[in-house]
Amino acid sequence: MSKMITKATKFEIINHWILALSCLFLALSGFAFLFHLEQLNAVFGSFATLKVLHNWIGVVFVVSLLATVSHYLPVALNLSGDDITWLAKGGGYIIKNVSLPEQDSINSGQKLYYLAILGAGLLISVSGFVIWLFPASKSMVLLSHLLHNVSFVIFAMAIPVHIYLATIANPGTFRIMVQGTVPLEWARKRHGKWIKRMGY
Amino acid sequence: MKRKSLLISPELCIGCRACQVACKSWNQLEGTKTNNRGTFENPPDLNPALYNKIRFVEVPSDKNDMRWLFVSQRCMHCDDAGCMKICPSPGALYKTKEGAVVFDKDKCIGCKLCVAACPFDVPRYDRNDKISKCTMCADRIAENLAPLCAKTCPTGAIKFGDRDELIAQAQKAGYQKVYGQNDLGGLGAIYAFKEPPKFYGMEDKPQIPESVVFWHKVLKPLAVIGLGGAVAASLLHYAVVGPKKDKEEKKDE
Ligand code: HEM
Ligand code: SF4
Ligand code: SF4
Ligand code: SF4
Repeated sequence: MSKMITKATKFEIINHWILALSCLFLALSGFAFLFHLEQLNAVFGSFATLKVLHNWIGVVFVVSLLATVSHYLPVALNLSGDDITWLAKGGGYIIKNVSLPEQDSINSGQKLYYLAILGAGLLISVSGFVIWLFPASKSMVLLSHLLHNVSFVIFAMAIPVHIYLATIANPGTFRIMVQGTVPLEWARKRHGKWIKRMGY
Repeated sequence: MKRKSLLISPELCIGCRACQVACKSWNQLEGTKTNNRGTFENPPDLNPALYNKIRFVEVPSDKNDMRWLFVSQRCMHCDDAGCMKICPSPGALYKTKEGAVVFDKDKCIGCKLCVAACPFDVPRYDRNDKISKCTMCADRIAENLAPLCAKTCPTGAIKFGDRDELIAQAQKAGYQKVYGQNDLGGLGAIYAFKEPPKFYGMEDKPQIPESVVFWHKVLKPLAVIGLGGAVAASLLHYAVVGPKKDKEEKKDE
């Protein structure tokens, strides 16, 4: 048995699932609004209920999103030439076993994913609140409606890839958001920079 | 079923506002406070209890100090209706077989997006945040009755009938261009304007806001294609390249 190290704290794990569940509900109800998916009435009763839930779960989502900032943003913004090399080599996802620059606690792809989710997440939240709370200004509502939907497209594309990469594409990753720990050797190969910084 | 319309002729309107009162009476809408802004036009704007308002437009005149144009402002029952396009709640807005755009307050979720997407600034929302606007008296039309504003009008300034016939009538009366004949797929309230539409406070070419059209034509499909594409790409990657495993793990296997 190799030594286990902590990659996500209990708080981060709980927060991740609040973020993920609220995000998935918002996306599902978003699709229902876009395409009039009346089948959802079997679960939620009416679109009026769905709208109230969509608004308030949006509040949960943005609070949860802001709670990720201290954990991920400093690492995600710490970009260097190594990240360009990593991304240019497709992170080893296209040609297997290419040699890649050592990675921090999250890899270059995850950094970009985080920045996309944070950016699109703030955009979709702020625009949503404008539509919800400030309907009087038509030009603001129209602009917000546009931005809300542009960021929705980003989410629709990013989330499936994230779920894939965090589960079956990378055995050993999913437990980060369950147990919070990973084997030291597993982490050394994927997050060498981080492991060194931690002094293991 | 032939499309029905209201033909509004400002030249015939005498500004009596019987239509405003009739509409309130049929639709059981409460009175709203008027205020003196130096014009007879009142109440000042459409509101949840005012589906139809006569606009009093003052234009210069050779003979007198000024001339009045009276024009009924209400829902235009657009064929290509911005309100219906943007509405997220199925059944909140729907079209009757005669072409009236009607709302169902029970299904309206109070998001107010229709207010922003209407090219004519028509929908208003009530105390409960529900849409309200002219319905073309769809309930009366269903019983073969004319909308009450049209029935009440003493001069024929608001006429109701088959859309094609009304257009032919207006053209025979000398209005080559009927306002709303072709705009937005053809309006359900058409106007016999003598002056340019601007004089009556109407857009020359009314259009659904560009952002709403872009959203409808591009972003909506893109959300589905994006989601489907991302799922498909992930599964394809799994099948073709496969998951990432450590070299050692492979040796162990
Ligand atoms: C429901 C399926 C999901 C699974 C199985 C899942 C799994 C994971 C895992 C295992 C991690 C940790 C990765 C690491 O630390 O190396 C993670 C991180 C993260 N997840 Fe999820 N997640 C899911 C849904 C979502 C959703 C819907 C969002 C929407 C906002 C989201 C946002 C994030 C963010 C922002 C991170 C941090 C950046 C990163 O590590 O990539 N997750 N997720
Ligand atoms: S005028 Fe406005 S409210 Fe009436 S049908 Fe057209 S878009 Fe809808
Ligand atoms: S306010 Fe009501 S009618 Fe208007 S877009 Fe929203 S749900 Fe539809
Ligand atoms: S058609 Fe009916 S609802 Fe519309 S303005 Fe006339 S009376 Fe009012």
